[in-house]
Amino acid sequence: MNKTMKTRCGILRLMMAGCVIGLALPSRVAAEVSDADFNALKETVQKLGEQVQNLQQSNIVQRQTHAQDLLQIQQLQQKLTETQQIATNAEQKSIEASMTQPMPRQPIDEATVNHNFMMLGDAEFQYAKIAGQHGAFLQADFAPIFLYRGGDNILFEAGFDTTLANNAPGSSGYTTTFNLSFAQLDYVMNDYMTFAGGELILPLGTYTERGAGWLNKIPDNPLAVDALLPGTGLGVEMRGGIPVGDTGQSLNYEVYVVNGPGSSDTTGTSGSAGNLDLGGNVGVLSDGSTVANLHGHPSGGARLGYFVPFKPHYDLELGVSGQSGEWDDAGNHLWSAGVLDAALHLGPAFEAKGEYIVTRYGSDDIGTHYQQGWFVQAGYKLAGLDLELPIINNLEIVGRYDSLHDVYDPADNAFDIKTRRYTVGYVYYFTNTLLFEGDYEFLNSNDPSQADQFILQLSLGF
Amino acid sequence: MKTSKQLKVLVQTTFAAAVAIVMIGGLASTTLFSAETDTNAVPSKTDSAVSQTNSAAVKAKAPAAEKPVLKHQLTGAELYSMHCNRCHPERYPTERTAAQWKTIMLHMQVRANIPGDQARLILQYLQDNSGR
Repeated sequence: MNKTMKTRCGILRLMMAGCVIGLALPSRVAAEVSDADFNALKETVQKLGEQVQNLQQSNIVQRQTHAQDLLQIQQLQQKLTETQQIATNAEQKSIEASMTQPMPRQPIDEATVNHNFMMLGDAEFQYAKIAGQHGAFLQADFAPIFLYRGGDNILFEAGFDTTLANNAPGSSGYTTTFNLSFAQLDYVMNDYMTFAGGELILPLGTYTERGAGWLNKIPDNPLAVDALLPGTGLGVEMRGGIPVGDTGQSLNYEVYVVNGPGSSDTTGTSGSAGNLDLGGNVGVLSDGSTVANLHGHPSGGARLGYFVPFKPHYDLELGVSGQSGEWDDAGNHLWSAGVLDAALHLGPAFEAKGEYIVTRYGSDDIGTHYQQGWFVQAGYKLAGLDLELPIINNLEIVGRYDSLHDVYDPADNAFDIKTRRYTVGYVYYFTNTLLFEGDYEFLNSNDPSQADQFILQLSLGF
Repeated sequence: MKTSKQLKVLVQTTFAAAVAIVMIGGLASTTLFSAETDTNAVPSKTDSAVSQTNSAAVKAKAPAAEKPVLKHQLTGAELYSMHCNRCHPERYPTERTAAQWKTIMLHMQVRANIPGDQARLILQYLQDNSGR
């Protein structure tokens, strides 16, 4: 074994010696080239190497550029294909359009692209205690107003009102009634004139238009407004405001034609005084058999008002309004009304307003008679005292005086009801739209159904 | 006889009311606005530009020899304070979006008989400060 190893080591030594001799011989041959030549050759080789490297880099850049060019070409080809497709489709559509009948174009006034639907309104519930009766949670009222604006000049507005009533005596449960308060289509013709048609809130005074729910600071309406005037009428109206000068004054007007009051005709004699129906003449009888005004001619009415703002929150508004027309089926008697209204604001804290109402109507049985009534109410927000007390600052003190004279009394078929009412109360503003109202009403009347009462009401305007 | 007397009273009352309105309106316009209009109200973003433009126009038209007369253009904020408080508690611009105010102002323009140019200024004020 050792002998074999020695033999191998000897062979390896001989091979190494051969290699050394082999390497030494060429160096001796190289030694025949001068150093200058060698360096020149070396420099040339280095330059060639650098050039090769530069060529490789430029080749890489050119390849990338080429790839980008190819991508752009592909994109352009794709766009060209799409454009050709669009052009083809457009051509087909134009051909199809040319084959259809042309439609007459109506003025749309951006109605199809610029409209808005909204719901406003109010909700209330009351607790009332009438003298001589049990107190009760009296009313849960929801009165939405729906607005639909079709363009800049067209508005449809409709208001509804729910009422609850016991079926007792005689039946169980209660009845919910959902009434249409008003529904009108308004077309603003220009800055000073608007046409309205439908079930209109009549501008006899201003209370009817401005006294809904939470707008009024006392839970119930003035006696004269409820007893003497129709709230709405079915017809058409022109209205608007004309500025006077540049200080904000304006002349306000409403002119309207409506079916007018009719006769309930419960006794078979439509002209009897007790048959006057202020709001029922809507053109269609309850059985649907008759579509007509109950009498021959519509009623006409108008209001003219003048608004004088002294400065923001200080203003005075005065108005005079009236309506006249037939009311009985035979058209023998006129029902007419005249109203004077006034409203005054002296700062953000004080408001006073009132109306004087007189009506006149003829009848078959008891001739012609006048009824009249008026009210004046005022409110003062205690925030005007600058007491910086949170609860006091949210409180408003209100008061009203009502008077109603010579009102028709069905009990004796005569115009002999006289009522005076004094109301004191408050409004507490939880927010600008959530109001907690309370009042006490002192009544003095020859109508035995009238009595003092205490009312609390929570109102929400939205 | 009684009827004609009552009719006469009605006519007289109506006439007296009309005369009273004209007198009070005339008195108010001559005494309250002859010398001064409100200068305390804060102009809105939009209205300030309108006021500046109008003031410049008035200055440009005034003859050099006369004292220039500066007309006060009511701002949307002032008109808002004048009109909206007539019937209801104040509603704040931020309560509604600009689109909602457009519908509500059309409703109020009709209901309160607000002249169109005044309604547009109020709308601009409400929209500029609206809840978006």
